Amino acid sequence: MNDCRNAEVRDQLPDLLHERLDASARAAVMAHVDGCADCREELELLRVAHGTLIKATPRVDLNFIIEAIPNAAPRARTLTAPRRRLWTDWRVAAAAVVLIAGGSSYSLLGRHGGIVVRDTLVAQVTPSGAGSASPQVQPTDSTATTPVPSQAPEVVAEGPSEAGETSGLGASRMGELNEKQLKALLTEIDQLSPTPITEPDPVFLRVDTKGTTSPEGL
Amino acid sequence: MTDAPQGSGPGGGGGRGGDDQRDLELIAQWKAGDQRAASALVERHAAALARFAVASGERNEVDELVQDTFVRAFNSLDGFRGDSSFRTWLFTIERRLLLDRRRAEKRRRDRLEIQEDDAATEYDALDSVVADETESRMRDAVKRLSPTQREVFTLRVAEGLSYKEIADAVGTTEGAARVHYHNAMRAVKEFLDE
Repeated sequence: MNDCRNAEVRDQLPDLLHERLDASARAAVMAHVDGCADCREELELLRVAHGTLIKATPRVDLNFIIEAIPNAAPRARTLTAPRRRLWTDWRVAAAAVVLIAGGSSYSLLGRHGGIVVRDTLVAQVTPSGAGSASPQVQPTDSTATTPVPSQAPEVVAEGPSEAGETSGLGASRMGELNEKQLKALLTEIDQLSPTPITEPDPVFLRVDTKGTTSPEGL
Repeated sequence: MTDAPQGSGPGGGGGRGGDDQRDLELIAQWKAGDQRAASALVERHAAALARFAVASGERNEVDELVQDTFVRAFNSLDGFRGDSSFRTWLFTIERRLLLDRRRAEKRRRDRLEIQEDDAATEYDALDSVVADETESRMRDAVKRLSPTQREVFTLRVAEGLSYKEIADAVGTTEGAARVHYHNAMRAVKEFLDE
């Protein structure tokens, strides 16, 4: 039994046997085999070998094998779905915490005057006179809050408003100052020391029931 | 004459594409919870795995080996990327299991100090009934091949795998698989000519 010199065709004889060649390759190999005794002989040998190996296949108990195959459905539930839900739950919980904490902080700041204080201070600084170098603070009631006009900004309006009305700059609106008050205020501003580079310390006001006010923290 | 390489296009699985696609469909069905798809996959590939087990020298526990191969395959099916055909992937798993068994068996024999012939070098599994003299001669010829030649020859002739698929299954290169096949074919011819 001789080997054909065309190694490419010999390589493809098993593929011809198993019908794994496309149409053009199959036609080319068949054309060669038709004219080549060695390849015909080898192809016949391959058929015998194939038949022998197939016949020699030991019998296998398919049920024995199938019974051991794991079930796919529980694996899908345990491996994928829970992880996804866990991750989603964690994100929802984190978002809820952030919203609650942020909302509470904002609410507390607004309720306890954290935003209102600035307006309060401005409102309570009243020029003592055109020539005065130091501002005086108008006494307020014991709640230490500033009466809020009805036109006050929304954040101010949320604060307590039971303190009653004040006069002059107590209205806290520049537009409500008369010309004299405006000039006095400008004079006071001119006499103030230059703005420090660093942020000034906070000023706290202590108000007692006698109506005297003194700054703290200076 | 075509010069297309084995493994793709002509000579490389033109007739197996439909089978591979069917395997992928069955895998998807099994993943979706259809256990009948697993049965279908077993029916499609069990015989080929049994043949390869025999070609690799397994004699007594072919059922167990095939079963273990399928169990391991289904348990790690998420790792099957489809780079090779499902059947080639099964051959790879089975061969690995077979090597593990041989190592375990060798350790056990070493402990017991029992002198036995190495199962990997024998090939008695083809001792089933053979129809005629030609097949009997062929059986003897295959029996004389080296273990690697026998594996490659079986995968190429009985299963029709390409050299690339054989290389993936037995852990070698495509060129080496081709050399093993042609050496096996030459050895078979020489035996039959004697």
